[in-house]
Amino acid sequence: MLAHQNAHPEKPARVVVLGAGGVLGKPLLARLKADGVVALGVGSADIDLQAADASDKLQRLLKADDAVVFLSALTPDKGRDVATLMKNLRMAEAVASAVSSVKCRHVIYMSSDAVYPFGNGTVDETTPADPLDLYGVMHKAREVIMMSAVQADALAILRCTLVCAADDTHNSYGPNRFRRQAARDGKITLGGEGKETRDHVFADDVAELIRLVLVHRSAGLLNAVSGRSHSFAEVARLVAATFVPPAEVSFSGGGGAVTHRHFDVTALHQAFPNFHFQSLEAVVAEVHRRGEGRSDG
Amino acid sequence: MTKPVIGFAGMTHLGLNSAVASAERGFDVICFDPDATRIGALNAGELPVVEPDLPDMFARRRAQLTFTTDPGMLKACDVIYVAPDVPTDDKGTSDLGPIRGLIDRVGEAMAPAAILVILSQVPPGFTRGLRRSLATRYYQVETLIFGRAIERAMYPERFIVGCADPAVPLPPSLATYLAAFECPILPMRYESAELCKISINMVLVAQVTCANTIAELCENIGADYGEIVPALRLDRRIGAYAYISPGMGISGGNLERDLATFNNFGDALGTSTGVVRAWQHNSGYRRNWALRTLHTAVLCHATDPVIAVLGLAYKENTDSVKNSPAVALIEALLPFSIQAYDPVVAPRAQWHPALTASADPIAACAGADVVLIMTPWPEFRTIDIGSLAKSLRGKVVIDPYGMLDRRAALAAGLEYHKLGVS
Repeated sequence: MLAHQNAHPEKPARVVVLGAGGVLGKPLLARLKADGVVALGVGSADIDLQAADASDKLQRLLKADDAVVFLSALTPDKGRDVATLMKNLRMAEAVASAVSSVKCRHVIYMSSDAVYPFGNGTVDETTPADPLDLYGVMHKAREVIMMSAVQADALAILRCTLVCAADDTHNSYGPNRFRRQAARDGKITLGGEGKETRDHVFADDVAELIRLVLVHRSAGLLNAVSGRSHSFAEVARLVAATFVPPAEVSFSGGGGAVTHRHFDVTALHQAFPNFHFQSLEAVVAEVHRRGEGRSDG
Repeated sequence: MTKPVIGFAGMTHLGLNSAVASAERGFDVICFDPDATRIGALNAGELPVVEPDLPDMFARRRAQLTFTTDPGMLKACDVIYVAPDVPTDDKGTSDLGPIRGLIDRVGEAMAPAAILVILSQVPPGFTRGLRRSLATRYYQVETLIFGRAIERAMYPERFIVGCADPAVPLPPSLATYLAAFECPILPMRYESAELCKISINMVLVAQVTCANTIAELCENIGADYGEIVPALRLDRRIGAYAYISPGMGISGGNLERDLATFNNFGDALGTSTGVVRAWQHNSGYRRNWALRTLHTAVLCHATDPVIAVLGLAYKENTDSVKNSPAVALIEALLPFSIQAYDPVVAPRAQWHPALTASADPIAACAGADVVLIMTPWPEFRTIDIGSLAKSLRGKVVIDPYGMLDRRAALAAGLEYHKLGVS
């Protein structure tokens, strides 16, 4: 579902990363720096994308031969209400206006697998987006906003699944929260029976995927997913086992309808045959290694 | 009635095999094609397609077969079949321009009382829309199977004939010809017959899709679909010949064309096509089974792997590569070295820049990390597993159709992957 505009990898003249301080922005900037790519990180302290003058400020910053990576978003932990939705849309409006005016050479929008509904079996890039909540609606709307502002052959949309990172502050349900629980309480408590399955990806791997999209100047739609789904119970046990002594895993019972999410990663294999997401086992171990000695629980 | 002389216009896969089978049934056959190169090759005894039994039958009936670029010779025919392969694009949409042109040429040349029969795949409404007398215009369903074209042409289960009025008896020349094949004849209105052709293929696709869907769950639940199939075949409601072997999606072009045609009509007329689109999606998904398995088993941990691919044709006993899973696989492996072997299809540089041809299956496996058996050519069943294991550098065998003995492969220390088996 991605088409590479560069037949051979080629470093962009400059990469501007919007959302530089976020869970994906930091590893992306580090990865680009390691690769010798000129990159400019822009965080909310530099330009408040919700502000009325955000588009003007961004236009003054951007150049036509820039590649722009739009990562900024208010995640569900900041709010799941209409007000948060509108803030996120205002950010997209500012970015779309700026990249459209400057006619940036390449734009990557980081969307989310929250645009997909549950219950459709295996999800791929042809699965219709039918979001269940305002966060998913926000990402789908922002995708369309970016599509209206950027030529199709200059826009890549990546729909990312649950991100695992050592310094993730979102505390969403999954390995990051489990690790904090284990560090703080010596035990991990799951809702229901932990049967629900989800895909998890490592932030560093997503950063590498974005780098590949940049150097190939890829356009189109791709799910940033590993293709391997694990139940929350499996995830909790993996996380628990990284502690000495192992953390206890318990279940609260009850819970609502059990949902699952599995992805077909054929399009990823076709786009980048040499790229693979690390296994969840490796990711959990690496996150634990990086997190050791840090008290963030 | 004396034996009618039969004409065939369009000497591609369908026309040629049908003409040769007609000669085998005892008819004199005049074969017309405007392509001088194609007719020249046929007159020299060179066959443009690979089909079992075709070369022997062609040689045996050569005296009854006239190949010509002169449409005027069709004037001697009592029944003329227009049978070119109708080309399709990547979305399965037919290009009907060439067959319309051929029908016009035949119509101008044929005797006024001769019968014209459209044998190619055309959409509902096509035959009635032709500018020609309804009394001499017919449509007949073809059910060619690549790799079994002669068998199908010689021994059809039935003839399905589209007519202006199915209550009117078939003309004697056509009835005499069809009777020679000793099978039921089902006259019906043009549109019914044209849709009947599509209907047959849709039922086949439904069966294949069902098989593939079950097979995938088998791969993940500890079951072996191969153990389930015999039970299905013994069920009278399913049957011994049902299309329920797992595969890697539909390919070859004809089934895809019929699904696309059905969807186009459904969209235009407002009928439900959701299930057809689900079949199409599942087909695309299963086509990449081997690619996904390869990534999981080899590519996610191998550095600079060498990959052996046995089989390039979309199925056995044919040289067609239309929508071939093997070709789709190769095109998705650009960074890697590939060694390929196929009994009839030569590897093409346009598929992959580092694709090399091998002389035989064992040579293709030399130094490879993995071998994928992508076409179920019968000769692959005779591959010596010990030699294969020695030739490979790695241990992974991806054999979707089960051409090798699974137990023998495992005993030889190979990691073995097959469709429908956990």
